[in-house]
Amino acid sequence: MIPWWQNAQKPLLILILGTTLLLISFVLSLCIGSTFISPITVMQALFNPDLFNLDHILVTTTRLSRSVIALVVGGCLAVSGCLMQALTRNPLASPSIFGINAGATFSIIICSMIFQLDSMQQYMWAALLGAFVAGAMVYAIGTMGTGRFNPIRIVLAGAAITALFGSFTQALLVIDQEGLDSILFWLAGSVANRQLDTLTTLLPYIGVALIGAFLLAKPINILMAGDEISKGLGQRTALVQMLMGLAITVLAGCAVAMAGNIVFVGLIVPHIVRKLMSTAIAHEWLIPGCMIFGALLLLIADMVARVIIFPQEIPIGVMTAFLGAPLFIYLIRRGMRHG
Amino acid sequence: MKGDIERCFDQKHKGKALSVMCFAFIALYLGFCAVSAHATDNTSTRTVKHALGETVIHGQPKRVVSLFQGATDTLVALGVEPVGVVESWAQKPMYSYLRPQLKNVTYVGLETQPSLEDIALLKPDLIIASRYRSEKIYGILSQIAPTIALEEVYDFRQTLKTTGKALGREKKANQLLTDWQKRIIDTRHKLQGHFGKDWPQKISLLDFRSDHVRLYTPNSFSGSILSDLGFKWPQVVEDSQWAPQKLVSKESIPLIDADMYFVLMKDDAAVKKNYQSWSQHLLWQRTKAAKTHHIYHVDNIYWSLAGGIISANHMLDEVDTIFHPPYQSPTHGSNQDLNQIPHQGKLQ
Repeated sequence: MIPWWQNAQKPLLILILGTTLLLISFVLSLCIGSTFISPITVMQALFNPDLFNLDHILVTTTRLSRSVIALVVGGCLAVSGCLMQALTRNPLASPSIFGINAGATFSIIICSMIFQLDSMQQYMWAALLGAFVAGAMVYAIGTMGTGRFNPIRIVLAGAAITALFGSFTQALLVIDQEGLDSILFWLAGSVANRQLDTLTTLLPYIGVALIGAFLLAKPINILMAGDEISKGLGQRTALVQMLMGLAITVLAGCAVAMAGNIVFVGLIVPHIVRKLMSTAIAHEWLIPGCMIFGALLLLIADMVARVIIFPQEIPIGVMTAFLGAPLFIYLIRRGMRHG
Repeated sequence: MKGDIERCFDQKHKGKALSVMCFAFIALYLGFCAVSAHATDNTSTRTVKHALGETVIHGQPKRVVSLFQGATDTLVALGVEPVGVVESWAQKPMYSYLRPQLKNVTYVGLETQPSLEDIALLKPDLIIASRYRSEKIYGILSQIAPTIALEEVYDFRQTLKTTGKALGREKKANQLLTDWQKRIIDTRHKLQGHFGKDWPQKISLLDFRSDHVRLYTPNSFSGSILSDLGFKWPQVVEDSQWAPQKLVSKESIPLIDADMYFVLMKDDAAVKKNYQSWSQHLLWQRTKAAKTHHIYHVDNIYWSLAGGIISANHMLDEVDTIFHPPYQSPTHGSNQDLNQIPHQGKLQ
């Protein structure tokens, strides 16, 4: 008899397990903070809020928004990382290689210099614009000339665009150091003090991109077999690749617009999910898996980041690396041993 | 001869002889003083101990370069116009309160990254730096000119003492410190009288940034002054004396609860937005300072960015102004009256 963990149903079990953990973590994330608030009070605060109850205020004003945003940002980053690794056939690829973070940061700085941005919504649109411009440039350069998609050229173009926008950003910050303060919270990623209305504005785009990514799963599996084979099988590879690029840009762009630079999630979560699910090609499982485990990682990272040295906070990017890296190394080593 | 000597010791002439001797001594002493004063000005050699070692300084430095805001303020206070200074943090290139005394100064870049080339071109004979900012370039600075480094940029008393010594103006420095100490004692008495039985007051010193709030401790420029004045701090500050706490989440608002808040803010839209969002939060409105409207917006240049003895005095001026009006104890005043008191101090 085959043990359950080698069962064909394993990805489904992992998915169910991840979802359960995610639900528990989400409730826990609302419970813990400066004071522990019982899950029952949390439920009351969510469904029947009392405006004058201190615990209810804590849950609805500070904890809910950051937990939901951590959840969504984590999911977006992991899925875009998964798509990115599939698109470039490069296991080290992550959304930041697409120049998206660098583009968003640059755009925020230049827009705040010209237009004096002062609301979350304005920052968000500026970031999104920058992410799209950078993503489009990388895609254009990567496919230029031959008209064919070339993974290596994409990675090189991404590195070049990242460096280009990075140097623009540096130059602007040297000229205008005053401006640094107002965008500092963007450079260092964080899910604190974000308002839920930024999320509601972006949610339709994120929703469409996630559904799109899920629908692309089967074509991606075919694409993974190589350009020639997938073309031979009648796939319109250029279209699939373009849609993947679009989904990556929307997901990573929305994530950076909401939470700033949070790296590492997009790189490691796809690997963790592949190891957990024991599959490297079944994207119909990997994509929802990345969604769940990306959200889980960022949610736990945020929880630890804000509790461990309360009242201060550790940057969430540090925490994701701190939690994710050992797991990542362990899984990779284990994977190597089993060949 | 013998007769003369005897005459000198004669009772009758003793007084005269003594006065002659006294005069001679005084003349000698004055002459000595004049020589030694001369020596201090031009040829004396002093060894000044500082955070990064000991530096030998000859004569009275005439071309001084300041590499942090507190040193610039201190030089002006000691009556020395530096030849080069780093740019200020706000009101660039220099805080307006120092501009009249710094008409011919050359700017040598930012406090975080001064231009070594510009400093060298000025041919300084003394550089005043800090360990905090300039430890890595201290070796190069020392090659340009004798360099003294202060341990912390905000410790204005130490900056004044060490700079005074390096410049051969210890007397002036000591005078400023004595005046300062007198002023602190005087203000403390005034505050005691002002608050009566509600003294000492517990305060939170909050520096709003665009994405967080810095809670200053007594180990900061204005924090040390407020501590000297006798103000008390919330427990969270007492627990972590050394570094300012960076508060990110509004969940920490109950921890800063105090009788009054001093609020520092940069003139920046994002910072103001963050202040609004904190001060509108229900947790904030439930704190004592917010309920009793004892929230004072103070000048962030005098209270934090400048960091010298002149700015410290300006800061005390502001404290004097804030607590000049008669104090109303929050426990006795009716809420209605309190609500009519507008936010005092100025909103920058």
